[in-house]
Amino acid sequence: MRAGLEPSLARLWRYALVLSKARDAADDLVQATCLRAIERADQYVPGTRVDRWLFAILRSIWLNEIRSRRIREGGGFVDAADALTTDGEREIEMNITAATMLRAIDRLPEAQRETVLLVYGEGYSYAEAAAALGVPIGTIMSRLAAGRAALAKLK
Amino acid sequence: MADDDAELVALIDNELDENRRTALLARLAADERLRQRYEELRQTSAPLAACLDALLTRAPLARLRATLPAEGPQRRQSRRFSGITLRDLAASMIGILAAGAAAWVALSLGLLRERQDWRTAVVEYANLYTNETFSPLNPDASLQAIELSALGARVGVNLTPESVALPGLRFTVAFMLSYNGAPLGVVAYVDPSGEPVLLCIIANDAPDAPMRSERRDNLSLAWWSRGGRSRLVIGHIPEERAVALAQTLEKRI
Repeated sequence: MRAGLEPSLARLWRYALVLSKARDAADDLVQATCLRAIERADQYVPGTRVDRWLFAILRSIWLNEIRSRRIREGGGFVDAADALTTDGEREIEMNITAATMLRAIDRLPEAQRETVLLVYGEGYSYAEAAAALGVPIGTIMSRLAAGRAALAKLK
Repeated sequence: MADDDAELVALIDNELDENRRTALLARLAADERLRQRYEELRQTSAPLAACLDALLTRAPLARLRATLPAEGPQRRQSRRFSGITLRDLAASMIGILAAGAAAWVALSLGLLRERQDWRTAVVEYANLYTNETFSPLNPDASLQAIELSALGARVGVNLTPESVALPGLRFTVAFMLSYNGAPLGVVAYVDPSGEPVLLCIIANDAPDAPMRSERRDNLSLAWWSRGGRSRLVIGHIPEERAVALAQTLEKRI
């Protein structure tokens, strides 16, 4: 299972960062996801996609543990402005368009950010995204439309 | 507007069923404002994908690997794959404007045709590109390196700005698609007139095969396979030129 985790680390971290908008939380979330995956390796169905299974674990931990704890503790979870774009060293490696786009994604509500990532970053179909997020396909459509509309305003 | 946006985005993502798609295409043919909105939304596709790819490069992999728990029982690992599906290729186009409603509808309906193989699929979409599609893109060297590195990691080929540089062509963008579950990376170039030329790399486990070339739909194709990856150079260029470009790349990637 450990070998199965490694190829997905970067993508798990990206998902965690998009959800949490905080690097420390993203690191913790990936670590917790890997630990949980190893603990529950017997629940993985051979022949299915490991990455999708890991994403589901990560999301569950985020929603049920880290996110809720942050909210309970008060103020730890906030939609901090430009949280996805605060890495100065990397920032200069991106052109203005990409950096502007990242800031715009950063300002989307969490549900839109997550849906945009799963569909456009991870290649989920609408039906797959709806199943993963537990919402109707119409909700996926409206989230993606709202997300793209916000990004289209950058033009 | 919100309902229209949802339908338009679903059209861009090729997620509408045939009835709704046909109805929306008919509306688009008759409504210039709706077409403009379609273009506005569609133009977010490529920068959005590039931006999400760039985010991958920020992952602190060394730190994450170091915190991985100790080895557990070995289990079967499914084939990892991510990326935008081939159907999203239309959504990845940038800056193209519909020449006219009728032509636009005809082109869109063309997306519904059955694809016999991945080169046929690429030919269909390559025919949609114009000299306005990629020419506005002019990434700096560092962004080129990021895009190529991310794409190379997906298709299992080491790609750098130097290894994909081609004489007389300018790099514009690299993006990921897939064909029947196989990762398909595309590097788009333009010549001085803006005419697109594409390098496509697909991780399709194909057996090694020497270079071949052909003409299809006024496009020239030159392709070869090595190491389980097939490469294709395609564009509205003379066949000899496509072969020469492919031979240049064959030595490097």
